[in-house]
Amino acid sequence: MTDDRDKLIAEAVEKALKGDMDAINGIEDRVTRSKAKAALHKAKKAAKAAELTSADASESDAVENQTETISTNQKIASIIDGEFPGSVVAQEGESEECIYIQSKFWEKVASFLRNNAVLDFDSLQCVTGMDMGEGILEVRYNFHSMKLRHSIEIRISTPIENPHIYSIEQIWRIGDWFEREVYDMFGILFTGHRNLKRMLLPDDWEGFPLRKDYETPQSYHGIAVPKVKEEWE
Amino acid sequence: MSVDLLYDWLNESIPFLSGNSLLLLLAIVIPAILLFLVIAVNAIVLVYAERKVSAFMQDRVGPMGQGVGLHAGKWGMLQTVADALKLISKEDIIPRLADRKLFIMAPFVIFVGAFIAVIALPFGETLIVADMNIGIFYILAVSSFGVIGLILAGWSSNNKWSLYGGMRSAAQIISYEIPAGLSLVTVIMLTGTLSMQGIIQYQSGGLFDWIVFSSPFSFIAFIIYFIAAIAETNRTPFDIPEAESELVGGFHTEYSGMRWSFFFLSEYANMLVVNGVAVAAFLGGWQSPIPGYLNSPGWGVFWFISKILVLVFVMMWVRWTFPRLRVDQLMDICWKYLLPIALFNIFGVGIWTLIFG
Amino acid sequence: MGIIHGEEMVLNIGPQHPSTHGVLRLKVRTDGEVVSDIYPVIGYLHRSFEKHCENVTYEQVIPYTDRCDYIASMNNNLGYAVTVEELMGIEVPEKVEYIRVIVSEFNRIASHLLALGTYGLDVGAFTPFLYMFRDRERILDMFEMVCGARLLYNYIWVGGVSHDLPKGFVETAYQFLDYFEPQVKEYNNLLTYNKIFVERTADVGVLPPDVAINYGVTGPNLRASGVKWDIRKDEPYSIYDKFDFDIPVGRGELGTIGDCWDRYWVRMREIEESVKILRQALKGLPKEGDVHQAIPKKIRPPKGSIYKRTESPRGDLAFYITSDGKPKPYRLKMRSPAFTSLSVLNKISRGWMLSDVIAILGSLDIVLGEIDR
Repeated sequence: MTDDRDKLIAEAVEKALKGDMDAINGIEDRVTRSKAKAALHKAKKAAKAAELTSADASESDAVENQTETISTNQKIASIIDGEFPGSVVAQEGESEECIYIQSKFWEKVASFLRNNAVLDFDSLQCVTGMDMGEGILEVRYNFHSMKLRHSIEIRISTPIENPHIYSIEQIWRIGDWFEREVYDMFGILFTGHRNLKRMLLPDDWEGFPLRKDYETPQSYHGIAVPKVKEEWE
Repeated sequence: MSVDLLYDWLNESIPFLSGNSLLLLLAIVIPAILLFLVIAVNAIVLVYAERKVSAFMQDRVGPMGQGVGLHAGKWGMLQTVADALKLISKEDIIPRLADRKLFIMAPFVIFVGAFIAVIALPFGETLIVADMNIGIFYILAVSSFGVIGLILAGWSSNNKWSLYGGMRSAAQIISYEIPAGLSLVTVIMLTGTLSMQGIIQYQSGGLFDWIVFSSPFSFIAFIIYFIAAIAETNRTPFDIPEAESELVGGFHTEYSGMRWSFFFLSEYANMLVVNGVAVAAFLGGWQSPIPGYLNSPGWGVFWFISKILVLVFVMMWVRWTFPRLRVDQLMDICWKYLLPIALFNIFGVGIWTLIFG
Repeated sequence: MGIIHGEEMVLNIGPQHPSTHGVLRLKVRTDGEVVSDIYPVIGYLHRSFEKHCENVTYEQVIPYTDRCDYIASMNNNLGYAVTVEELMGIEVPEKVEYIRVIVSEFNRIASHLLALGTYGLDVGAFTPFLYMFRDRERILDMFEMVCGARLLYNYIWVGGVSHDLPKGFVETAYQFLDYFEPQVKEYNNLLTYNKIFVERTADVGVLPPDVAINYGVTGPNLRASGVKWDIRKDEPYSIYDKFDFDIPVGRGELGTIGDCWDRYWVRMREIEESVKILRQALKGLPKEGDVHQAIPKKIRPPKGSIYKRTESPRGDLAFYITSDGKPKPYRLKMRSPAFTSLSVLNKISRGWMLSDVIAILGSLDIVLGEIDR
């Protein structure tokens, strides 16, 4: 049965690539159809990437970096690892999209990312906190270089009992507010941050709401939080 | 209809009280009540005009009396009356930390400043409450009296925004008094009198005998006076003491109800006064533009009022067109441009009268 | 300035103030009129968008994105939809892409009109505000035609849009564009080149490009500083690569590059560019096509994370979505452009006067719903 389906999908995708979308839309089984669509998208993406790389390999790095994030990440990872041996943590699965950095190296790596001429990440795009469960908090930084037009994602994990990460607020000034927000929501303490206070929540708020083990308080300043959902939803 | 004339007339018509000081009181109170009515009607009309003018400039229709139940008359003509009723019936709030006495006093001080200036406005050949021989000087003097009220309001509210507003308006009005005064000096030089009626009489004989057209220098003087007048009445582009988007409401942030409406009343009374002075000093006062035509006392009132309304319209036009200046730019315009030009202008008028006069 | 030093005064601008564009509080230290330090206090509009998202399914997130940047809801919908589609690998029909571009460019015009109009209000010009609202009204009318809502649309869904364009929409859109294009000239006459307006905004609050990048400022504010960076061109999403349009950058025409006037002017130019895109998109809009065919019945993205940027009227609007294969997002973070724009306020408005701070704040075009989320 599964073989049949795979075959069906393969045929449909082949037809669709030639421009006949009805081949996919004509599939009756809904699951098969959606799978076929996903496969088509993948195929198109791969074709595009192959086209671009083969067409003009001599084109500037920027274009190549945009289409081929995989190679950029690996390249940057190797540069960082070469500068600070042992700083890049090898990870299974998602490692092709991002770089895991050991938190004790972060202080040096951050300023390296900013000041190195090859990397030149002048723009900190986003800082995302995340509760990975199993007692681990993660901070994910999205960097972008306005000059070289490439971007990476850096991930740093820290234990939930004692979450400490070096602050990059003085390297990228926007880090000030981003880190305050992460502190506000996850309670990660950014060492060296000059004004680590609550940002969006009131100063007297207890707990860190976006942690997975957070429990909604019974009341806030004497105002009871409604238990029954229907009352407010 | 000055107080003296009224007193004489009362003395004659009520013989059994002749010579009594009660009559003098009566002769003072009657014009006072009339003037108060003039100011109130003026505010009601001008507020309505302001709303309509701004509405038409902004592609709106403004207040319209369409609706169910209580509505504000045809084309919303009773809108201001309704507003006044609302303001009167509103709760009178005095902030707890305000300086109570000064807070209550401030609107009246401002109103008195505007009110006593109207006394010297010549509405017609005989229709003036007090035809002083220093009329124009008197108006200049008392119209700055309102500044004290503004500062009092700003200070006593115990609010930082009000304080800013009070300070800004003090700086602004005092500065703009100078170019306004200097441009009136040119008029005084030409006419040789300080009396309002004297100045108007000098301009008798039609459009081209008005001071504004009598020489290029006096035309410049008129422009300077008009700019300074806009600044003195705190209107855009010089409305920095109120500056809604910066200072919330400026000096009247904390006021509400009737007290607040006194600020409004005196703002429009001030407009009447400054434009009245402009009309009397530059535009021939109550005289008809065509010599000998429609020049009876009744028409005099018409000419005077309609000239004022034209200037008021220009003020509204300016207000709804321009953005607001910054404090330092405002001072720059006053001290760096208007003042030197006004001084030069006096010199120019002097030469002009020497050669052509 | 600054020769006589008095005692400094702390002034609270907001949370209720006519020109904070929402519920923002600025703690301002002033020496007379001159401002020496600004500390923005935000969070008054915080309604736990990200926490909500972890408890609702992917489809249900879309109405919440509406309420973030309520001035440009279409662009927020689009940003979210594009992100989830890329995470799931959904191919969207061409017609849907065209509709999306049309509505989001209309919304960009509407958003910029509001930004420019209220900016006029901030510097004291009341009339341009109403002129711009008059025209924005017509765009909202068109949105009402499209989806029944005027402010919060919930229109762009993952894989499609909620309704096809109604009959007569294209004609109405053309009519509007024909009417609207000459209006830009009117705005320029009334406000842009007004002497007082130029005096108030040119050379005020200059934001140098390196500072802008370091503070993460994006969108029109960054472009006003002379940096040519527009996601629609540099990292095209949807079908923006099919259209021909320019990216206006600040040139310092009447002052320094990156001053308030440039930020205003870049928005004015962007309106013209949006009109250009709209004309092309309306021309290329396919007649036939089902807008619902690619909408998945169940949204269950594969495990993984994605960070995807789109260009909202305020700048780089990005969504960071982590999926654990369940119908609800494991974590959803919104990188709001107004948040980063506001962070630079203290840097560029120190030393200016109180009135200028209001002008600078207005020129950054912030929406508090998006900052506080």
